[in-house]
Amino acid sequence: MTSEHWFERDPLWFKRAVFYEIHIRGFFDGNDDGLGDFRGLIEKLDYLDWLGVDCIWLLPMYESPLKDGGYDIANFFAIHPDLGTVEDFREFVAQAHQRGIRVIADLVMNHTSADHPWFQESRSDPTGPKGEWYVWSDTDTGYPDVRIIFVDSETSNWTLDPVRGQYYWHRFFYHQPDLNFDNPEVQEAMLDVLRFWLDLGIDGFRLDAVPYLYEREGTNGENLPETHEYLKRVRAEVEARYPDRVLLAEANQWPEDVVEYFGDGDECHMAFHFPVMPRMFMAVRREDATPIYEILDRTPAIPDNCQWGLFLRNHDELTLEMVTDDERDYMYAEYAKDPRMKLNLGIRRRLAPLLDAGFDEMQLLHAILFSLPGSPVLYYGDEIGMGDNVYLGDRDGVRTPMHWSGDRNAGFSRADWAQLYLQPLMDPVYGYQAVNVEAQLRTPNSLLRWLQRFIALRKEHPVFGLGDYRPLRGDNSRVFAHLRTWEEDILVCVHNLARSAQAVQLDLSAYAGMVPVEMLGNTAFPAVGDLPYLLTLAPHGFYWFRLRPAEEEE
Amino acid sequence: MDSNALIEHVTRQRWFGAKTRTVSHAEVLDSVVVRSVEPELTLDLVGLRYDTGAHDIYQLFSGAEAEVARELLSAMRSTLKLQGTEGVIDFQPAAGFAQLSQDIGVGRLVSSEQSNSSVVFGEELILKVFRRLEPGVNPELEVLRFLGEHGFENAPALVGWYEYSGGPLTATLGLLQEFVAGTVDGWELALDEIADTPERFLDRLPRLGEVTAQLHNALGSDAGDAAFCPEEPSVEALGLLTATVDEEIGRVFLSLAEDDERLAPIAGRGEEVREQLRFLTHAGSTGRVIRTHGDFHLAQTLVSGDDWVIIDFEGEPARTIAERRRKRSCLRDVAGMLRSFTYAASSTELLRGASVPGDWEERARRRFLDSYLATIDPTLLPAGDAAIERLLAVFELEKAVYELRYELDHRPDWVGIPVAGIERLMHAATEAL
Repeated sequence: MTSEHWFERDPLWFKRAVFYEIHIRGFFDGNDDGLGDFRGLIEKLDYLDWLGVDCIWLLPMYESPLKDGGYDIANFFAIHPDLGTVEDFREFVAQAHQRGIRVIADLVMNHTSADHPWFQESRSDPTGPKGEWYVWSDTDTGYPDVRIIFVDSETSNWTLDPVRGQYYWHRFFYHQPDLNFDNPEVQEAMLDVLRFWLDLGIDGFRLDAVPYLYEREGTNGENLPETHEYLKRVRAEVEARYPDRVLLAEANQWPEDVVEYFGDGDECHMAFHFPVMPRMFMAVRREDATPIYEILDRTPAIPDNCQWGLFLRNHDELTLEMVTDDERDYMYAEYAKDPRMKLNLGIRRRLAPLLDAGFDEMQLLHAILFSLPGSPVLYYGDEIGMGDNVYLGDRDGVRTPMHWSGDRNAGFSRADWAQLYLQPLMDPVYGYQAVNVEAQLRTPNSLLRWLQRFIALRKEHPVFGLGDYRPLRGDNSRVFAHLRTWEEDILVCVHNLARSAQAVQLDLSAYAGMVPVEMLGNTAFPAVGDLPYLLTLAPHGFYWFRLRPAEEEE
Repeated sequence: MDSNALIEHVTRQRWFGAKTRTVSHAEVLDSVVVRSVEPELTLDLVGLRYDTGAHDIYQLFSGAEAEVARELLSAMRSTLKLQGTEGVIDFQPAAGFAQLSQDIGVGRLVSSEQSNSSVVFGEELILKVFRRLEPGVNPELEVLRFLGEHGFENAPALVGWYEYSGGPLTATLGLLQEFVAGTVDGWELALDEIADTPERFLDRLPRLGEVTAQLHNALGSDAGDAAFCPEEPSVEALGLLTATVDEEIGRVFLSLAEDDERLAPIAGRGEEVREQLRFLTHAGSTGRVIRTHGDFHLAQTLVSGDDWVIIDFEGEPARTIAERRRKRSCLRDVAGMLRSFTYAASSTELLRGASVPGDWEERARRRFLDSYLATIDPTLLPAGDAAIERLLAVFELEKAVYELRYELDHRPDWVGIPVAGIERLMHAATEAL
């Protein structure tokens, strides 16, 4: 029996899945060398299984000089030796599948590391077979309308290569030259990469930096029709030979642009909904549901076989590209009081420190995240409320080792302290003595235990992944309320964004006679009548109700 | 059949497990002809969707179980592949098949409950048909094959199996095993003997302890087989176990009716029970983990003369295949059997109206445990008697809570048994410390 046979055939599995993002280096050290690896990951699968994770998303695992956290790939067909071997990877996928957990991995199609043999060949042999695999130019004046993304470190998207004597194009760091997707050989080479990993049993890819594959004069070089055409070709290839796999697009764009990546249900299966994320934080801090309602109103419908990926935090900075300047100033003022906390157009902090370790806020934001139409993506460590270290460079501050226990090295590794790739946090609030898996497992009211229950609850109701969303604006703007419906399952989700108790009246007249049953405690509330339904909520409190038909007794 | 007729048909079957849920839609996902001459017989995979949108896949026959079973047997004999519209069924004979006589006689349906049905042929073979299907290898197929290859003799031999692979899923549909003739059901025997000759049954228990330990020794004997090799549990293993049991206790107590007299001894004491659990698991280890029986109790045994045969390696049918295949401490099986002694004693009183000597259960536990512990490979257990006692108590508590939920849902008259068990464990747990 092959690895994928542990699943029912289900092309829409990703619509009901809970994803969990893992920085392999930081998860668990299986060979005592100071950094996490695939052997270590296998040891922690039981934990992820217990938590209720359906799909693991792995940050880049390929051979790389690691100048950009592995997003600078030097060999698409090899695992970075720090993390293990291709055989270890295959074993990991098989073990995950046996537990009913799927695995997707980051893949960067847009560019490679400058160390990649393709680039080395391209720069040293301009007329050779790889001469046109990258975007070369005699001048640095092409594509002037394209923005610079890493504004903190780059001044131009062109860099002069002293070897070839020409400029090469790079959308990100200067050491990450963009591949030339106008070249059919590059298009083919990337499909070979996909096939290699799909044959090893992987369940899909999170496609990094996907809007930038092509460049065209007179455009900003993002979301070009050529890019969509190529992605459709990728999808067709995957669909034809590998059922039930998923392509998840990272396109940090406005919803109306992102929906293009779904095509007519024939491009990417999933795409991250970037703009909703900062607005959840904004809504909580402003005690006002308007930002969330507005961005959801602005989000177009997507094809039935597609899904949004939703998240609170990830391995990058909390990106503020998809907000207005005013909103960005507000976010900086509220969430990045120390300038060290800013990076590029964003805030490099983890969930718990952003919320000042507020337990209620963490629950509330998870409740909102889980209730929205889409599949939630959790970031390793946030399930226990891990902190960050803003004194580390770039985004390392949110990529420190997972806190497994209060033991030496946070139970992450048996190597020497100094040998660790990064040291676990030791401060009194977020340090590993205070915040760790072992202690929270033992504490029924911990964030971890609560989240495990909460994930289980969400998974009992496919409506969260499959159902319609309808805003339910009451008479109190501090309360974010909405309806989710699927088959006969009707849910009402009500969240109090304020730090004070609130009352709200909701128009549920369409459901008169039905009985709201609070889902965490299975408690029946008074039946819906003809008058607006009145609810009172504790500070940062929330209710999820299932509407039970009046006659159905339980 | 239209959706409504199909729903009607499926939900009235005894093996239909989701009796408390509302089925909103049913459809045939695939249909495979197992006999093409009149009267034609088919095997259908039926998808059911519940009102919450969740779904299950069931295996249905168009005709009487016994008749279809006969066709399935001859398909195994010929290693047939039968094509459906969405996939294919593979029929496989195991080593023992060749020795069977050509005429296997007429089948008779012996049971049809708890997610599967069984058909017996000529007191020689038993075909178990899995009704609710799940993707992956069924643990019973895996375990029977393994035990056969590793020389454990107190389990039935695997004779054949059939499995489906195709559009909807890949799953084991059923398996054919040796029918152990000349035996009596361990549970029935327990009730009879406890009522009439309680000492006689106690005298049987050392052998049961020994066979159980031999089963575990066999299951933990092959370091070369990834699915079976004993493993050191991960650092969190005990923490995850505790958290899981703790949540279950929380959930069950949340749903207890407040005005039910039978629940009085434990009503409102959920926090105390959880506290006990935390005491028991505060420090300790689970020992090495291996594949286990998974749902071990007296009704999963047969008695043949003075010997015991262990059957039904499917695991708890309510749990997912991934959960049932999980490696665990062998003491979990032991705890299951200890709980079964409690059930046997109470049932003898309830069903046979006999009175059972007050110390019977305690003596039964001792006889069984002493012999088990003398035979089991000690490297499979946590170190030290105290650690063993505590881990056993954790598993017994887990079991009793599971029973409580089961009895509340299915047999409210029996609720007293798990209630007494939980009450006892609350005291025993403190004593063990």
